[in-house]
Amino acid sequence: MYNKKKYGIAGVIIAIIILIILFFLTNIQNSKMSYFENVANKVVMPIQNGLTFLKNKINGNSTFFANVNNLKQENENLQKKNTELAEKLRELESIKAQNESLKQYLNLKEKYSDYAAIPADIINRDISNYSKNIVINIGTKDGIKEGMTVIAAEGLVGYITSVTDSTAKVQTIIDSSSSTSALLSTSRDSIVCKGILNNDKQLKAMYIPMDATVSQGDTIETSGLGGIYQKGIYIGTVEKVENTTDLTNRYAMVSVAVDFKKLETVLVITNK
Amino acid sequence: MKKFIINVLLFLAFLIIYFLHSNLFVWFKIAGVMPNLFVILVLFIGLYAHKYMGVIYGIVFGLLLDFFIGKKIGVTAIMLGIVGLVGVLFDKNFSKENRITLIVMVMITTVIFEIGEYLINYFVIRQPFELIPFIQVLLVECIYNAIITIILYPLMQISGNKIEKEYKGNKILTRYF
Repeated sequence: MYNKKKYGIAGVIIAIIILIILFFLTNIQNSKMSYFENVANKVVMPIQNGLTFLKNKINGNSTFFANVNNLKQENENLQKKNTELAEKLRELESIKAQNESLKQYLNLKEKYSDYAAIPADIINRDISNYSKNIVINIGTKDGIKEGMTVIAAEGLVGYITSVTDSTAKVQTIIDSSSSTSALLSTSRDSIVCKGILNNDKQLKAMYIPMDATVSQGDTIETSGLGGIYQKGIYIGTVEKVENTTDLTNRYAMVSVAVDFKKLETVLVITNK
Repeated sequence: MKKFIINVLLFLAFLIIYFLHSNLFVWFKIAGVMPNLFVILVLFIGLYAHKYMGVIYGIVFGLLLDFFIGKKIGVTAIMLGIVGLVGVLFDKNFSKENRITLIVMVMITTVIFEIGEYLINYFVIRQPFELIPFIQVLLVECIYNAIITIILYPLMQISGNKIEKEYKGNKILTRYF
């Protein structure tokens, strides 16, 4: 009985002491408690961080699953927009190409404004290694006739040899069976420019008058003789003069102004 | 019916070759020279099909080419007709089962076709005669045609045997024994 009273009084005293300590601890400034706080944090925080990470992950996933349908919808919309934009881009490219072509026509028309001319596109090139004819996409329906001169922005191309309703064959000046009556622009001497079989870029200027002075860089233009080509259409420039012992046989290599490999658009002069 | 299909396919082959020539071979030139697949096609018809087919097809294809791009109507027709005829003569006298023989046949017909066409153009449209450039172009063209024949040989053999079976029956080897 005595012992029971003794332990009961001791318990009350210990409880009062703990309460008094706690009372003092709660009233001490936080700064003075930081050390303990740090120790506690160091122990707890890694675990806390791990748990927080997992929680966030689970939260995020749940959001993802919740938004799958929205994303699908968004993706479909974006694909639709992408198709529309691609379509617009194709349209723009087509307009751009058309614009380039029209610009070429315009430049040609401005350059040769004295002539009545019809623009045309090259639709076929010769399949033989021995001739260099081209076919254009205009014919008798457009007022094209045999013998009409064909030019490009850079200079002379050739003349019409045959016509159908909607196409025309053009014999180019670089064809080996072609002879073009020409003039040396500086000295005004008459020469004849002939096509060369295995050469697309040069002409052979022959029948140079003995007293004529030909030098590298001289420009060559049509003379108007022969009745096929109009006078004054640019052909090219003298690249090399081959002097022979007999002056009557000398000839010059003429670099053609038109790049026949890349030629796409031409003008057909309809008035003589 | 089979003969009809063969003829349609031959015409289709002509169109494909035409478009290859006017579009693709412009970019695949060797030393500025294109091959001549029309010669190979007409020779092939002359060798494997009925004896008049090579000539008829040569003339028809040639006329079409003359209409499309030729300088004078009939020049290519004459020469391709001759190629078809040469094909028939080759078929009578040589075996086409050998790859080398076929290549030689293609080279010979290419030379005949180009020289003939060049000479006709020289006389008809007064095209100037440039011997050395002509030989240079012709040599490259022959080599190009030979290379293409090497590539096409298996196809030519398989399809040629089928055409031959249809037009000449199964008596192909009798003349060799």
